[in-house]
Amino acid sequence: MTGLAVDDAAWASTWRRRSPADKLLLSGGLVVCALALPAWPGSVLVGLTAVVLALGPARVPARTFGRAVRWPLAFIAVGTLTSVVTVGADGLGWAPDAAARAGSLAGHALAGSAAVLLLATTTPMADLLPELRRLRVPAAVVEVAAVTYRLLFVLLAGLRTIREAQTARMGYSTLRHSYRSSGALAAAVLTRSWDRARRMQEGLAGRGMETGLRVLPEVLPSSRAFLAATAAGLAALVSLSLAVA
Amino acid sequence: MHIAEGFLPPAHAVGWTLAAAPFVVHGARRVATEVRERPENTLLLGAAGAFTFVLSAIKLPSFTGSSSHPTGTGAGAVLFRPPVMALLGTIVLLFQALLLAHGGLTTLGANVVAFAVVGPWAGYGAYRLTRRVGGGLLPGVFAAMVVADLATYVTTAAQLALALPDAETGIAGALVKFLSVFALTQVPLALGEGLLGVLLFRALTANARPELERLGLLAPAPEPAR
Repeated sequence: MTGLAVDDAAWASTWRRRSPADKLLLSGGLVVCALALPAWPGSVLVGLTAVVLALGPARVPARTFGRAVRWPLAFIAVGTLTSVVTVGADGLGWAPDAAARAGSLAGHALAGSAAVLLLATTTPMADLLPELRRLRVPAAVVEVAAVTYRLLFVLLAGLRTIREAQTARMGYSTLRHSYRSSGALAAAVLTRSWDRARRMQEGLAGRGMETGLRVLPEVLPSSRAFLAATAAGLAALVSLSLAVA
Repeated sequence: MHIAEGFLPPAHAVGWTLAAAPFVVHGARRVATEVRERPENTLLLGAAGAFTFVLSAIKLPSFTGSSSHPTGTGAGAVLFRPPVMALLGTIVLLFQALLLAHGGLTTLGANVVAFAVVGPWAGYGAYRLTRRVGGGLLPGVFAAMVVADLATYVTTAAQLALALPDAETGIAGALVKFLSVFALTQVPLALGEGLLGVLLFRALTANARPELERLGLLAPAPEPAR
């Protein structure tokens, strides 16, 4: 348990041992399809594919997937509603093609979110970051991102402990106390992060860190069958959507 | 308030990604130089990124009853300067998209423009302006946090309005709609975050004065305080 449900799911997924490049291709393809194909039936097909693949072969717990969708869902609901309500001289009203517009907008967004979530719940960040190197992102940037990824769990654990202690001492009993506690909490987490960074740096300097943080990336070989299935599936999805639409 | 995956049409997604690119590349160059000169900065920058991410896990009690989480880009801009925040913000937004399903990949560019470019620069500008007219660190931080938040919110609303113009009143009408809908949560959040920033920096002045001095936020010689 690391404290972030999506990250936990990614480490526990049966697709964890698959090549991150393969999964990037699949999810990336689905994301592009979700964006470019007509909402009916393209978005529906993309959304269904992503959910079925995640809950089926990749064995992502349905609860984790469902809970993770809540964030984008709230935004999509508010954003979609706002876009199809018109404010005219005679007050609020629906846009002429409100239902179709809302369906298309929400369809694209939900399908896209499901496709990104498929990648997120099957591929830990630690596997994706080396892929950034292959996309020619500078090594220094990838290293900063890697330290960020590793440190954020340490800081999250600290944050929870401090907050628990504050709550036990009535730190969140009133609005005023809540603000004071939140400020102290943020300051404690920031000073802890500096302290951690300094101590890690001293430890690494003692071990002769001169050329950055070298780690041996895990070798996760690409699967031809997976790539072939991805290509065939995406092609079928595109042709079916275009044929029906 | 991150724009969710798939919410922007393809042309807008590509356009905002191109708009964000120079800032992110500039930030990346800056970080790469800093790391080359002083390898230990990798850890400090990573810690700053992790802090920005974790800050969004702090629930802020809002005046309207709901609770929101701070974006922290104003504080980040004051502590680490806007160019570095452009890169750190991008990393954090990528992590939020992939670890919290908050935001998206095709909308990353648009979110980077709002959260990691416009927000930090506006906040930093407000901070410098407040300091220049004689305001202290805490008023400066308050201004930075509030302005960064408001600028981010206005930018996001504008991005949505451009992508989804109103059927009758066009882009201007859509802008008014998105601004007023999100104002319900974003304006109290901006004020709350400003307050949080003041409390954060007050605690830092008491407990981490040397670090603030090293970052150039406080003059090295403290006044009669001690």
